[in-house]
Amino acid sequence: MKDELVKALKEALESGKASAAIMLTEKDGELMPRIITDAGDPALDSIYTGDRRYPMASFAMMLVPVIEGNLALPVRECDRRMLVELKKHNQVDTDRLVLLGIPCSQEVADACGCDHPFTANGISVAPATAKPAVPSPPPESVSEDPDKRLAFWMDAFSRCIKCMGCRNVCPMCFCNDCALDNLDYVSVESKPPDIPIFHLIRAVDMADRCVDCGMCEAICPAEIPLRQLYRQARNVVKEAYGYEPGISEEKSPIEMLGDPTELAGLS
Amino acid sequence: MEDTLETTEEKKPEAGAEDKEDVRILAFLCNWCSYAGADLAGVSRLQYPPNVVDIRVMCTGTISPYFILKAFQEGIDGVLIAGCHIGDCHYGKGNYMTAKRFRVIKDLLVGMGIDPRRLRLEWVSAAEGQKFQEVITSFTEQVKAAGKSPLAKAKVKK
Repeated sequence: MKDELVKALKEALESGKASAAIMLTEKDGELMPRIITDAGDPALDSIYTGDRRYPMASFAMMLVPVIEGNLALPVRECDRRMLVELKKHNQVDTDRLVLLGIPCSQEVADACGCDHPFTANGISVAPATAKPAVPSPPPESVSEDPDKRLAFWMDAFSRCIKCMGCRNVCPMCFCNDCALDNLDYVSVESKPPDIPIFHLIRAVDMADRCVDCGMCEAICPAEIPLRQLYRQARNVVKEAYGYEPGISEEKSPIEMLGDPTELAGLS
Repeated sequence: MEDTLETTEEKKPEAGAEDKEDVRILAFLCNWCSYAGADLAGVSRLQYPPNVVDIRVMCTGTISPYFILKAFQEGIDGVLIAGCHIGDCHYGKGNYMTAKRFRVIKDLLVGMGIDPRRLRLEWVSAAEGQKFQEVITSFTEQVKAAGKSPLAKAKVKK
């Protein structure tokens, strides 16, 4: 897989399809990105092709506007879905991306509980074939008793240390003016932050954007079940409008002005 | 002048007293229909419960889901959104937008464990003072049945 990825990156740079490429390297146990512009760059030898993930779609957003030519970007399936969503929101010009698909091995797919393991093009080394079991939600979060649900979430939210990791890691959190920085919604001095509004603001925004990559939950130091929260939000939109972020081709129904025909089924 | 200001500020906490029946409701009213409907209810001298605080917005389509979250965060017990009837929006399709968003925010909050009785979307036109009275009365009863918001306690604790 390493050789194939290096070969694909070199080919993209040499043929002129891309003028720059992103690769990951590992240093002191931490992943870090690196920009490559020359196919003969010796840094390519230290490319990281392990199982850990990195929000690659963020680089597309950052780099495409500032470089000349195209950007070669190794992506997993979740990164690809993010790029689909980002394109809908006019955040990235996907025509200027050369996507190199990285298959997720069965172990990665199982560990993520991925809904959509990679099967598509690109570098093909033993992609996941069996659909992994999606982890079941915490029992309290789907309890019949609303008080138990509320207690579960308030307890989880009260652990928050307001590190902003969930927002910062998420490529879908691209707003220039973030509501979480708005003092009208979230006061600046309190830790834990104002609950539940701090987490629900993001849940509302994720309802039609989240592609369920799970990086927010992986990064959360307080182990708040954020993925379950955003899954619930996604399910609301999916059940109401049949819209799935990253998979549906059309734009989000709740960000566009309504058409009379779409009102069927509203209470 | 200063004296009157001080007295109104002092009276505010007393209004939200300990009484369990004393729920606080926030109503977002659209400028063109529901606010005029509320006006009509007023000039017609129709009686309705005093638990409602009105906020006039130009269109219900401008109501961000964040506003509703903020209302619950501040300990409001129920949120009512009232706008023009479907098809009558002053801006064309603003209330379609509201209807779509409202369903998402309501289902999300109910999933979190908020009582569904605390949220309501109604269409009240400028000629429906009577309907405005009925909506406020029934919604206040509905919210009273649900009781004080559990999030209000969290707010007080802080």
